[in-house]
This record gives sequence, C-alpha cells and structure tokens, in this order.
Amino acid sequence: MADTPTLSVTMLGAGQEVGRSCCVLHYRGKTIVCDAGVHPAHSGMASLPFIDDLDWSTVDAILITHFHLDHAAALTYITEKTNFGDGKGKVYMTHPTKAVHKFMMQDYVRMSSSTSDALFSPLDMTKSLAAIIPVSVHQLITVCPGVSFTPYHAGHVLGACMFLIDIYGLKILYTGDYSREEDRHLVKAELPPVRPDVLIVESTFGTQTLEGREEKEQRFTNLVHSIVKRNGHCLLPTFALGRAQELLLILDEYWKKHPDLHNIPIYYASSLARKCMSVYQTYIHTMNANIRSRFAKRDNPFVFKHISNVPPQRGWEKKIAEGPPCVVLASPGFMDNGPSRELFELWASDSRNGLIVTGYSIEGTLAREITNEPEEFTSMKGNTIQRKISVEGISFSAHVDFSQNSEFIELVGAQHVVLVHGEQTAMGRLRAAMNSRYKERNEDVKIHTPRNLETLQLSFRGERVAKAIGA
Amino acid sequence: MASSVFYKWASRKDESRVTFDGTGISVFDMKREIILANHMSKANDFDLYIYDATSKQEYQDDSFFIPRSSSVIVKRLPAARQGKGKASYYANGAGPSLPTSEAVSRGAGVPTWHKGAMSKRFDGKDEPQT
Ligand SMILES: [Zn+2]
Ligand SMILES: [Zn+2]
Repeated sequence: MADTPTLSVTMLGAGQEVGRSCCVLHYRGKTIVCDAGVHPAHSGMASLPFIDDLDWSTVDAILITHFHLDHAAALTYITEKTNFGDGKGKVYMTHPTKAVHKFMMQDYVRMSSSTSDALFSPLDMTKSLAAIIPVSVHQLITVCPGVSFTPYHAGHVLGACMFLIDIYGLKILYTGDYSREEDRHLVKAELPPVRPDVLIVESTFGTQTLEGREEKEQRFTNLVHSIVKRNGHCLLPTFALGRAQELLLILDEYWKKHPDLHNIPIYYASSLARKCMSVYQTYIHTMNANIRSRFAKRDNPFVFKHISNVPPQRGWEKKIAEGPPCVVLASPGFMDNGPSRELFELWASDSRNGLIVTGYSIEGTLAREITNEPEEFTSMKGNTIQRKISVEGISFSAHVDFSQNSEFIELVGAQHVVLVHGEQTAMGRLRAAMNSRYKERNEDVKIHTPRNLETLQLSFRGERVAKAIGA
Repeated sequence: MASSVFYKWASRKDESRVTFDGTGISVFDMKREIILANHMSKANDFDLYIYDATSKQEYQDDSFFIPRSSSVIVKRLPAARQGKGKASYYANGAGPSLPTSEAVSRGAGVPTWHKGAMSKRFDGKDEPQT
C-alpha cells in the first residue's frame, strides 16, 4: 500500500461561505475545477475566488454547473487573465447554461464597465464565450485520457446540472446548487445511477426546514394580494433570471384566477430577461411535464398574460413609485444598487408598501440586512431613511433544505462528503446532524467542511484503491 | 522622474506597477497602493502577501523598503482569521514609520528577510488559530 494516490480537494471559494464557488480536484496528476463564480457582496478583484495559488495552465477542465454569477462570472477572468490558456484546459457547461451565461456576462460587463473596477473587457468576454464547449445532460464526455464526466439534472435554474466526474476510476459527484422538489417549470435533481467515492454537496440551508411548495406559494400570493389591497406597492427584488421565471409563472396564474386584480399591474423590470425569454422557449424540452404539455397545447407558459414590461425610459422607477398600487419584480436580488434599490428607497417609509425577499440573501448585502427589520437604514446617497414598509421572507431560491439534502446525501452513499456553499454555522450544524445519523447506524462516512484554501487529502478504503492502481 | 515597482498577481499573465518618488517603497505602502488601485479596501476576507519575484521569499516586514525598478509577486489569500482581513488597515494606514519601536530600530534600512524585524506580524499568522 505504499503510494496510495490521494484525491486533494481545495475550495478557492464557497468554503464555509456562500458565493464565488470554485472547487479544485487533483488526482493522479489531473486537475479539474468545478465552477468559477464571483462573490456578490464584493466587487472587482476582491470578488474573485482565491485563485492566486493555482497554476491555471495545469488545469485539464473547468466545469460550470449553472449560469448564476456566484458560479460562473469569474470564468472570463480565469480564461483570459491567468495562464489558463497556456495549457490544454477546456471549459464545459450545458447548452442552456451557455446560452444564458452569454447574456448574463454581457450585462455583467456593462454594469461593471461603469465603475472603475472592471475585471475584463467586452473583448475578453467574447473570447472566453467562444471557447466554451456546450454539452448535453446525460452525455458522457471524455476530457483527456483518464478523465471523463457526465452532467445530470440539478433542478435549481434552467440548465443547472451536477457533474459526475471520473478520474482514473475515482468517482466524484459535484452537485452545484440543486433542488429536489419539482417546481412550476423545472425537473428536480436526479440521483446519478452510480455510487461515487466522494460527494461534494451544497449546504446553503444547513439544517433548516423549508415549507412545502403549495404552502409557500399560497403564503406568497396571499401576501402580495394583501399588500396591493391595502393600497400598497409590492416590491419583489429578484435576479433577472432563474427564480424570477418561477415567480412570474405563479403570479400570472394567480392573477388569472382573480379578476379583481386585473387592474393592478405586475411589472417585470428586466431587459436582460426579455432577451433570455427566447432561451427559455428554446429549452422547453428540458423542463418538466407540466410545462411541456402546456407548450404542446400551444399554450406557451412563458408568454405571460398579466405581466407588463416597464416603460423603457429613464426614471421609470420614480414614475411607477408615484403611481397607483402595483407589483414590481426588479433586479438585483440583493438590492445593493440598481432598480430594486431605487424602488426600495422610494417605498421604504410608507407602511402600506410591502417588500418580499424571495431569494437566499448572501451575508453583507442589503437584502440580508433588511430581514432583521431595522427601524432605519442608510440610502445610497447617504441619508437616513425610516423603514415602515413591511418585510417578509419567502424562499423560492430552489436549494435543498435539511430533509431533502440529508436524504440525497444518504442515497448517494459516498464514503467522503464535502460540504460547500454554506455559511460556517449552517454548515457546522449540518455536519453535526449527519455525523450523529451515521454514528447511530454505525456507518463510517466522513463529513468535511473545508475553509477556503484548506486542502483536503482524501484516501479511499477497499477495492476502490486496488482498482484505481491497477487501472 | 517617478520610480516604480512592478507587481504581478501570482495567477495573472500581465504585470502592473506602483509609482512613487524616491529610491524605494515600503512593503506597507506597496500593499496600500495595490489595495487602493484594485478597489479592495472594503473586503475584510483576505490578506495580501508580497514576494520577491526571483527568490520567491515573502516580504514579511512591512517596514522593509523594496528598491525601485524591482519586481514582486502578489497573492490574495484568505484572511488568517475569518472576517479579520487587514485590507482596511493598510488602506487607511498612515505608513510604515508607525509600527513598534523595535521594528524601526532594527529594520533601519537593513534588508533583513523577515524573522525578527517585526515583533508581531500584522496578518495574524502568529496568533493561535481557532
Ligand atoms: Zn445558483
Ligand atoms: Zn450558488
């Protein structure tokens, strides 16, 4: 047993935090990087994963799980600004992820070029996009001799997948963000048919239990209804793509059933999303049965009947804010700047108005701070504003909760489980809960919670090692 | 004419530089200039480490003067203690002449490589990990 090869797992980001996912796998001379995201609470250089200790020319492949910025937006920097291009490394993501990623990055570059901390130019972005190899779910892809992978559906957002990676026979499942509950438009995450040696799994909600879908949708629509009925404006800060489409499907259906609401407009303020609607329509075949059958009946669910676009002119926020009651979905979801922030400041001091935070709010953002219902907060201009607007959180973020995550972890049955994409305390609780379950059953499963750049060295018992060496 | 020290992020292809007047720049000022130039002063999750480009030795002593026209390598690594990164300390700092008196007397212009020039590191590395 002299030289048992070990797998090293190093988080460059999303180690005991949520944001800038980036995980480096190294085994028998091969290096695979899963995800390359930015940290939404920071900007510029500080938002990148801790990329300085890796020789990027040695990377064989970068696999991107989904289009969210905290998983994909550092890709351009890595392919264009580091020495990644000096090596033979390839970049992979699914077809819909690539299609949406393009629009997301155009928007990201446009937003950041107005500030002084732009990380790359539009040209860099174009070059990076051209090099992405699109793949299909369930397709077996060989990266180089000894390394292959297969994407599986992860739910979460359009195109999101998990990767089952095989390096010289060692199997690693990297989930990215995933959900195990079928929603209005997506399929739920699949359980891959093979038992991997290592599972690297998100832990956003730790040991929290989320309410069931129906209950949650009902609470949401009731709340929206009551806000507009008390003559208030309802603000739903959300990212342009991903969960916004789910909320629109829910609201459109609710409005259809409630004619008394037809005179109350729902505005969807995103030119980015308008551009991406064609992508959603193109990939209807990857969505769930409900959406596919509606589409087959020529009822395109993404052609909304009760949703209006905002007037395409500067200062629309003020116009809408001063107008009659309405519902507005506006980006960004964290309200750190942009339309959602502007509307929030305009509506914050009127108690008739209501704010519903529907996503997972990352630490260090206003969306998180506001869930503590402070009496006042500081505006972007630096004034103090009274907060009278009602604040409610209802999670539509499509991450697994404790019961779904623990069930999935057990079904996957890996001997090593690495928890990522969770805040320190949430992750610690999940680890403790899983440890006690395994202890009760006398099973030897190791749960790891590495911090960023704290490399795990994993070795494997049983036939696995013998097989890997003989292969 | 202004002097420069060239710096390259360890993972990056191209170089940048910091310009100043004089024959050298202190490690403290170098860190401050890099943090300010890259708008990183608000993030508290990292520490900067500067290394000599040839010897790969870390400049651990903030009062050490890097001679003009030299090249250094810079790394952004997780703060030794979570959420206790020193970016704002450098960004707001008054300069290298303020650290402990010991550092000033011992470090006076002599290019000693870390170990002992400072009584205490600013990056928290010598503090017990929790
Ligand atoms: Zn996501
Ligand atoms: Zn995420």
